[in-house]
Amino acid sequence: MFRFFRRKPRVLAATLGLLLVGGTLAGCAGAGGSGPETVRFHLSKPEAIPYFRELIAEYNAQNDDVEVVFDTSSNLQAGFLRGNPPDLGLLNYNMEMARFMERGALSDLSDMPEAERILPEVQDLVDQYATYPGRTSVLPYSVMAASVIYNAQIFEEQGLAIPTTYDELITVCDALLAAGITPFYGTFREPWTVAQGWFDYTVGGMVEVADFYEEMNELGTEVGPDSPVSFEKDFAEPVTRMQYLIENYANADAASKGYGDGNLAFAQGQAAMYMQGPWAFGEIAKTAPDLAVGTFPLPMTDDPEDLEVRVNIDLAAWIPEVSEHKEAARDFLSYLFQQEVMDEYNAAQLGYGTTTDAAPVTDPRIVGMKQYYDAAEFYQGASKAIPLTIPTENYTQAIALGADAVSTLRTLDADWARLALRQ
Amino acid sequence: MSVQPALAVENIEGTKTLEDGKARRTPTANRGNGGNGGTKPSLPLTIILLLCAVTVIVPLYVTVSMAFKTQAQAVDGNAFSLPAPFSVEGFVTAWNLTNFPAAFLVSALITAGTVAGTVILGALASYAISRNWNHRLFRWSFFYLLAAMFIPFPVVALPQIQLTGLAGLDNPLGVTILHIMFQLSFSILLFTAFLRSIPSELEESARIDGATTWQTFWRLIFPLLAPMSATVGIFAFLASWNDFMMPSLITSDPALQTLPVVQSIFQTQFSNNYNVSFASYLMAMAPAIIVYLFTQRWVMEGVTQGAVKG
Amino acid sequence: MTSTSAPTRRKPKVEGIYYAFLIPSLALFTLAITVPAIIGIFFSFTNSIGFGDWEFVGLINYVAMFSDPAILASYLFTFGFAAVTVVLVNVLAFLLAVGLTARIKLKMGLRAIFVIPMVVSGIIIAYVFNFLFSNSLPAFGQTTGIGVLSESILANPDLAWVAIVIVTAWQAIPGTLLIYIAGLLAIPGEVYEAADIDGAGKWQQLFRITLPLVAGYVVINVILGFKNFLNAYDIIVGLTNGGPGTATRSIPMTIVTGFTGGDYAYQMANATMFFVIVVLISLIQLRITRGRNSV
Repeated sequence: MFRFFRRKPRVLAATLGLLLVGGTLAGCAGAGGSGPETVRFHLSKPEAIPYFRELIAEYNAQNDDVEVVFDTSSNLQAGFLRGNPPDLGLLNYNMEMARFMERGALSDLSDMPEAERILPEVQDLVDQYATYPGRTSVLPYSVMAASVIYNAQIFEEQGLAIPTTYDELITVCDALLAAGITPFYGTFREPWTVAQGWFDYTVGGMVEVADFYEEMNELGTEVGPDSPVSFEKDFAEPVTRMQYLIENYANADAASKGYGDGNLAFAQGQAAMYMQGPWAFGEIAKTAPDLAVGTFPLPMTDDPEDLEVRVNIDLAAWIPEVSEHKEAARDFLSYLFQQEVMDEYNAAQLGYGTTTDAAPVTDPRIVGMKQYYDAAEFYQGASKAIPLTIPTENYTQAIALGADAVSTLRTLDADWARLALRQ
Repeated sequence: MSVQPALAVENIEGTKTLEDGKARRTPTANRGNGGNGGTKPSLPLTIILLLCAVTVIVPLYVTVSMAFKTQAQAVDGNAFSLPAPFSVEGFVTAWNLTNFPAAFLVSALITAGTVAGTVILGALASYAISRNWNHRLFRWSFFYLLAAMFIPFPVVALPQIQLTGLAGLDNPLGVTILHIMFQLSFSILLFTAFLRSIPSELEESARIDGATTWQTFWRLIFPLLAPMSATVGIFAFLASWNDFMMPSLITSDPALQTLPVVQSIFQTQFSNNYNVSFASYLMAMAPAIIVYLFTQRWVMEGVTQGAVKG
Repeated sequence: MTSTSAPTRRKPKVEGIYYAFLIPSLALFTLAITVPAIIGIFFSFTNSIGFGDWEFVGLINYVAMFSDPAILASYLFTFGFAAVTVVLVNVLAFLLAVGLTARIKLKMGLRAIFVIPMVVSGIIIAYVFNFLFSNSLPAFGQTTGIGVLSESILANPDLAWVAIVIVTAWQAIPGTLLIYIAGLLAIPGEVYEAADIDGAGKWQQLFRITLPLVAGYVVINVILGFKNFLNAYDIIVGLTNGGPGTATRSIPMTIVTGFTGGDYAYQMANATMFFVIVVLISLIQLRITRGRNSV
């Protein structure tokens, strides 16, 4: 829409470039005219960077006409705003991406053979957030199933069984405390760790997350103290339990600890349980490669049938509508979606496959969640279904640090209604 | 905007004489305001001030000592212990990890461009404005350009991200231009005030000798502006070299980021390797501090002059 | 003014080259600042996320903003923070300036040290302080048994702002200090001689003579400082990134993080309001400084 601005500043930029520092800096602006077609590939998941760096090197070695450039840290929102987003993105699918899709900023990939291979229940996870009429804009690459990580050695030494109800969980925690072991390790300095683990597990263990948000979306501006569903009404109980667990069973210095501290402490056996996802295993293994760890869904009710695991689309691929290298980007996408490439990634990163022909999960650390994943007994994190403009993670952090749960949830309701008003 | 020519001269002269610390014009000014009234320097006051100076030194000391530790020693989190053994591994890692030379070069180019651009554009515009003050366009331009002082960067940041992207200026050149634009109003304020104090006879005699406006400006005016240019330049340097927000938002390619932004980009990768992170901070801080230590007298004078006028 | 206009014509023709001197600045300024400002205001009336489909929504962004506790809290935080910091910075800088202009040893060396923070980038020094606040201060608190300090104050929603004030002050004092030094040196020594003869004590001299005589510099420092502190961003990024919770989100930070969360239009409404407020403050500043031309 501001196309007409494009030309004038260029001329001016050139003039000023000469006036200022000469061609040195200007060279940066005009780079990449000739030579092989460049595809800027965005992937920001820190743990996955080395794997994809190798893949890119391999692909570039095989292809003379396309060169994939790795982009691990640019600001996506700003990239789209500038009109020069990466040509191919492979990243966590969240509300931010959902909004890009909703506004038609992501191109249609439904004609790609890769789209056929995606498991329907996984593609459903994408649609839970947003859809754009007539398009399949996002192809899931890897799903992470997350639940409570526990130190199997401690559990064994204390003679503890994996809890399947909330009461059993409390019993386990009390037994650990009695033995002088911190039950949970919290890392509340980093808000995302609260939202991802503590909040999502407790809420997901009690609330049907997808149904809840469907109703919330329908209510929109009517969400409030008197609406049939609301954060205040439906989340108060799990969140209060979350606070109870934190107050009684988490390390006392959790407020000043971050993700790195948590991985280190858990690896050193400073706590028996850790509310993190499988991405933490790699970090834990750096300190304690032989530590026996496992996973179990956080029980929040009295019925073992209610157990579900949290999933999120850890990586999903998309190609922006404005990309000038769509074909080349699609070619690289196909390269990434080769079954053995996907399987290797998922095996290394402890992810679950998203395609009908994916290899089954075998790693002992996450195999505890397999039965739930295969049966589609999973939910997407409640904190992830809220648009990023609402500082959900910070709210959950505040709750973890002792803020009043009900009033914070009420704030969340008000934010939700206000957002619905202006969108 | 209310700065009057006469007032400006007074200020400039005043600060110039006063800032050399000896206060020639007012020989007794130093005494009386605090300390003892005698001729001997006050020792207790000196000690109090030295203690205050410790608060400035401590973070810098911690940066240096942490940077020279081994990783094994750094993880214990004790900020005040001396490095034992002394190690440069943090520097080696930080140098390679953050690609320090590239970030330094980008920072240096942006800063140099900003200083040069601010001084030259500001001086040219100010000269045109002050010599054509009774012409409406120039008078209004003055107020128009001053308006940037009312516009904080965050207000226009988002559209600027959009426009620089569309114009292909989402790079250090774009940052340089924006830095100049945000410095421009202040520099024009200083330059015009100073220009009005230059007696017109000087210029007239130059013109009688046949100099064109262009020649007059470069041969006569611009050299005369030198002290103000130094002030403007110092402000531009500080603002540009230390800026974080603008480059972080405007430059799209992380490989072309400035030193301060690079620190934030690598924050998660530094993780608990404090020796690496502090080595990186130290390398990012050191150039400006070193330059300052060699030019402190000018910097202090320049800042005083500019700030008192601003 | 001191223009060299010829007396024969009321409106002398402007020599062409002057336009060439002025136009680059005007054009760049317009493109780099005015146009973005207009675009921003325009989009504040839409639901745009900066790209893709959008439509006009009238004043809804503004309406939503005035009832948004996150926005209101950021204004409250920013103005409160700026007010506290401006007072702290000016008190400390003034006292230091008094000390540094008195008869002391190592005068120039001390001045040079106190000015160093000015040349250090805010975000970098914030990272350094972040380490001190998260590691050294809690360790100190634990050994001395001071409960409040035994945990990182950055993790304490009620105290995190103090950390931001400290670091901001650390960095802002030098500039303020230099202005006060200039002000103090401009006071003629005879004033104090007269006061000595009248038998006024040192503290009396400080409050009765020194302070009133540098009042103009105080006004400058307070206004400049306040406006700068309203733009708090770098140091907050390095210390708390707006947390814990949303306890330390300044207005600029709300604008940027809101935008990163996909709220382009809404944050442009916020930016527009911020702009209006800054203009109002600047106008007040003009009024005050105009009345204080004696400086």
